[in-house]
Amino acid sequence: MIKIQKTAWEKMVSHVEGTFPKEGCGLMIGSDGVVQEAVPLPNAYTGPQEDFFVIDPKDLHRVDQESRERGLDVLGVFHSHPDCDAYFSKRDLEHSCPWFSYVVLSIKKGRFDHANSYRPDFDQTEALKEELIYG
Amino acid sequence: MAKILIPTPLRQFADKKDSVELPGSTVGEVLKSLTGQYTDLRRHLYNDEGKLRSFVNVYVNDEDIRYLNKEATPLNAGDTVSIVPSIAGGSAGVAAPPAPPATLSKDEILRYSRHLIMPEVGMEGQLKLKAAKVALIGTGGLGAPLGMYLAAAGIGRIGLVDFDVVDFTNLQRQVIHGTKDVGKKKLDSAAETMLDINPYVEIDRHEVALSSENALEILKDYDIVVDGTDNFPTRYLVNDACVLLKKPNVYGSIFRFEGQATIFAYPGGPCYRCLYPEPPPPGLVPSCAEGGVLGILPGTVGLIQATETVKLILGIGEPLIGRLVLYDALAMRFRELKLRRNPECPVCGDHPTITKLIDYQEFCGIPTQTHEEKPIDGDIDPVEVKSKIDRGDRFVLIDVREPHEYQICNIPQAKLIPLGDLPKRVNELNSADEIIAHCKSGMRSAKAVDFLKQAGFKKVRNMKGGILAWSDKVDPSVPKY
Repeated sequence: MIKIQKTAWEKMVSHVEGTFPKEGCGLMIGSDGVVQEAVPLPNAYTGPQEDFFVIDPKDLHRVDQESRERGLDVLGVFHSHPDCDAYFSKRDLEHSCPWFSYVVLSIKKGRFDHANSYRPDFDQTEALKEELIYG
Repeated sequence: MAKILIPTPLRQFADKKDSVELPGSTVGEVLKSLTGQYTDLRRHLYNDEGKLRSFVNVYVNDEDIRYLNKEATPLNAGDTVSIVPSIAGGSAGVAAPPAPPATLSKDEILRYSRHLIMPEVGMEGQLKLKAAKVALIGTGGLGAPLGMYLAAAGIGRIGLVDFDVVDFTNLQRQVIHGTKDVGKKKLDSAAETMLDINPYVEIDRHEVALSSENALEILKDYDIVVDGTDNFPTRYLVNDACVLLKKPNVYGSIFRFEGQATIFAYPGGPCYRCLYPEPPPPGLVPSCAEGGVLGILPGTVGLIQATETVKLILGIGEPLIGRLVLYDALAMRFRELKLRRNPECPVCGDHPTITKLIDYQEFCGIPTQTHEEKPIDGDIDPVEVKSKIDRGDRFVLIDVREPHEYQICNIPQAKLIPLGDLPKRVNELNSADEIIAHCKSGMRSAKAVDFLKQAGFKKVRNMKGGILAWSDKVDPSVPKY
């Protein structure tokens, strides 16, 4: 289960509504399964960003370091599916890492529609849906 | 000696430490010390083959070791090693949806009302369907339901590729064609049915056999390619063309009571060659004409393809990418296999070696037309077999088909020994006799001839064209099937 506090959730939604029709992404930090802050990050993919995102490892490294210093953890990753449902796609799975929760936000016509959270496995073959509480 | 920073999710496996100092003069050695000390970390960082998992990036200070000396990167005192997972992903809708046309007419709104009232489709989705261009290769078993339902769903432009003519054996399953259409071009018969269902659909007729010379030119104008073909050379051709053109290939195949479907060549997803790098030897996998097919089966499989095509266009649901659906009509069961893109794939891999279309007949080991014209050593024409019977020549005619085929039609002089029984019944034959083998079309009897020759029979020949040719050339009263 992952719980996202209201201010963090609003920041995530407003970030990915803003990047529409491109995919937006970022990290979620907090502790004990509760996301206290969202850190929007630039989509580092150099190709068409309408259906792909990459988080620059340097950004992840930096956010991880900064949150450690504040006693917080990187709990997960969020990204949007513009004009698509919030399923965990084959591409998501292929690039996934089992250490994090993956929150996928479906943005339709530029507005938030629905969201799901997933935990991928080690072999990148399956991602189980987990309970997502936000707001 | 180096300091390793442990990422948050892994600290639970490292005594909750956020960093550890460990001995080692290279990155590989330090990581080995780390997983030696904290064994639970091992499966997080390494796969079963002992390689760093694909999502694990390792940094020395601020440099990714992939750009240094990988795991052999040397470490100096004071260096910090960080483990940083790589994070990427993305949806899988059609990448660049075409600009939808402005509106639907009043008649179209009425026609599509059951779509329009579902928010998942709605006016926007229906306009996407109308703007979409889909190429449909083949208007046979799979192409029939595909063509009819894609037209009904309101796909704006459908390109049909076929060069065949409707015959009676098609009608058991190819429901887009009717009895009145026998003898007509499949393209015309299919287009007529589709336009009757939906006159708002634009249909392009490509009356060609898809080939390496024309495939890219024909397919480049469409958003999605749907493969309704039934032979290996065309499957590889469609696959490679789709990979090269970066267009999804909605794939289906059928055999007897079983079918498969998936989406190949979606950027980032697997292609047909990731699943089947090499074609089977020619003749090993029988075609529908040889093995038969339950007439309803292509309906089920073709409609899975039609569903996936429409989902890709609308960008709804979870597309069948990286998953192969297996359908067994007898058990009435669907199963799913996971497929992955093979980074070593010669066409869609990281370093492709196939960058243009090749000769697919040759690739699949099928002799080209010019070879076929030459009489193959050991072949005998049905007319000659008939004269031998009439002359009273001493020889043994064996029919290597199955008993249920023998019941459909047979040559009375022939002895039935199904191909599969031949090894255990070979003692019924005398190697001193002249033996002629036949089947339905000459494929299985060629195998029987090979088998008998290997078993030491010298005087064995294959009746060219099988009982079908016998019906054409010798006895038209023998029914064809």
